[in-house]
Amino acid sequence: MNKMILYKEWLKTRWPLLGMAAVMVAFTFYSLLNLAKVVEFRGADILWSTLVFKETVLIEQLKYLPALAGAVLSVAQFLPEMTRKRLKLTLHLPYPQGKMIALMALYGMAAVTLLSLLQALVIGIVLGRWIVSELVVRVLVTAAVWYLAGWATYLWMAAICLEPTWRMRIVLLLILAGLVWLLFLSGIPEAYNGFLPWLVLYVLCGAVLLYHGVARFKEGLQD
Amino acid sequence: MKRIGQIFITVSLVALVLWVIPWLYNLMTLKPYSTPFTLYSCIIHDFTSLDRSDGKAFQFIDRNGNIHGDEVQPMFYASILASRGALPDTIEGRPVTMEEIDRNSIIVTSDPKDINRKQSKVHLLMESVPERLELKDPEEAVVSRKDGLYIYDMAANTLLKEKSDAFNAALRDKGFAFPARLFAGNPSDRKAYDEGYLVTDAEGKLFHFKQVDGTMEAEHFTEADRINLKHLIITEFENRATLGYLISTDNILYMLKPDGAVIPTEVRFDPQKEDLLVVGDMFYYTIKVSDEKGEHFYALRSGDFSLADKMDRPYEFEDEFNLCEYIFPCRFTFTSSNDGWVKPRLQDFSWTGLIVDIVLAVLIIMWRRRDRNPHF
Repeated sequence: MNKMILYKEWLKTRWPLLGMAAVMVAFTFYSLLNLAKVVEFRGADILWSTLVFKETVLIEQLKYLPALAGAVLSVAQFLPEMTRKRLKLTLHLPYPQGKMIALMALYGMAAVTLLSLLQALVIGIVLGRWIVSELVVRVLVTAAVWYLAGWATYLWMAAICLEPTWRMRIVLLLILAGLVWLLFLSGIPEAYNGFLPWLVLYVLCGAVLLYHGVARFKEGLQD
Repeated sequence: MKRIGQIFITVSLVALVLWVIPWLYNLMTLKPYSTPFTLYSCIIHDFTSLDRSDGKAFQFIDRNGNIHGDEVQPMFYASILASRGALPDTIEGRPVTMEEIDRNSIIVTSDPKDINRKQSKVHLLMESVPERLELKDPEEAVVSRKDGLYIYDMAANTLLKEKSDAFNAALRDKGFAFPARLFAGNPSDRKAYDEGYLVTDAEGKLFHFKQVDGTMEAEHFTEADRINLKHLIITEFENRATLGYLISTDNILYMLKPDGAVIPTEVRFDPQKEDLLVVGDMFYYTIKVSDEKGEHFYALRSGDFSLADKMDRPYEFEDEFNLCEYIFPCRFTFTSSNDGWVKPRLQDFSWTGLIVDIVLAVLIIMWRRRDRNPHF
């Protein structure tokens, strides 16, 4: 049954997932190609001095991609469940409802994580050719909060899709807007270091909103 | 699970409201506030502030309310005064020339936001005695690790092992204990000369190193061993009056002379909380230390850094109506003008706001209990 559920999720999300993967590959390639040209024309020294003296981690062009990927995947996965109330059918499958929602969310979170990890890995390997590991770590630790934004948009957009009333959807959307704003509040390298574990905890706690939405759906709430 | 979801949403909404509404209110009601540019005058021996009250651009007012022209600050406006033939030949019995004025003009700034953030472990390394005399952009970098300093060729991203070993040996010979703690340097070619880095070791002792002809030149400043240092500023000014400024954990500003002599000053400065502006000339250093409440001015004599005068100028806050104080028990912020961290901070606690909110919460609970349709 697990495999069938995962296969169902794959069928729903394969094209958006592949599309987002293509977008992330294209942007990452473009961003790293730009850096490669800078290195070719001005030498790798410029990357070192830029990272040391300026408030940049060189890959800011990529900062919103994980958040976009999370939102796109979430909508692709959960919106079909809500159109014409298909969620009713899903919840009537011979499988525990809680586990069903958890499995669906885990699938999406794993997909967002996989995209993020692959991108971070490529960035780390390429930058590692030009700069010392301490600076690569500085770049990736700074980018960690952008990847967290991918989890946040995924979970919150899923909750918004599963939520049966518009009034609560707007409330969730406002909280998501605040959360995304917070995650992109500062461009200073490693500004979130101490706060990041708490942000991860808060974002993961957002999974409870999926069950909140399903419970309200089962109660028959609607506008 | 539904109840936990409701609690989660409520807590999130409260945090969002405590963050966004006061921020928006502050943004809308924010008014500009500035303080006049102030310097100690070597002519009248008093602090003078730029006064624009009657629209004149260069009019200074001293602490007694006397009005002066720009000739009261001959060091700062030397070129203009010289063009008018108004530059004095001697001040305090010392001959004044444009060359001397230029050589002794210094400006130093320090901002807590640059200090209270994650510092890089990578520091660019210049050649202090370049072959062609002019300073060049750094080609190497020092990476500070637990067991030593590692020198990298930046263009090739390769470790220069022999050079690193030689650098570390030179520092260890002087008694340096790794890892390095505080670093202060200015690896830029926009300066007259390079003095490398001031650095403290694992035991808090102060060292100075620079690269001379590709080799490490290191020295230990034993006079600073008695001071618990928390911040260093390197100064590479043309007059070479100081090598740097040292700030101790008890916020005393010390002047470090190039020969390693350490001179305590009367200046109290917390680099993690206060801004610093030093404007120095042939005769006096005007040092402005500003915090949230006001500005503290010190005038130090340029020769021995003894205190010539001191002045405090608290900010003049007007008691303005703040709506948020009557609505919210506190304000939630995530950033600060004093540091580079993003983290939650509760500010501006208000008893009035707390009481108003408790009353509102009780009213809402009562209203909801009466409501038969709990669809929210």
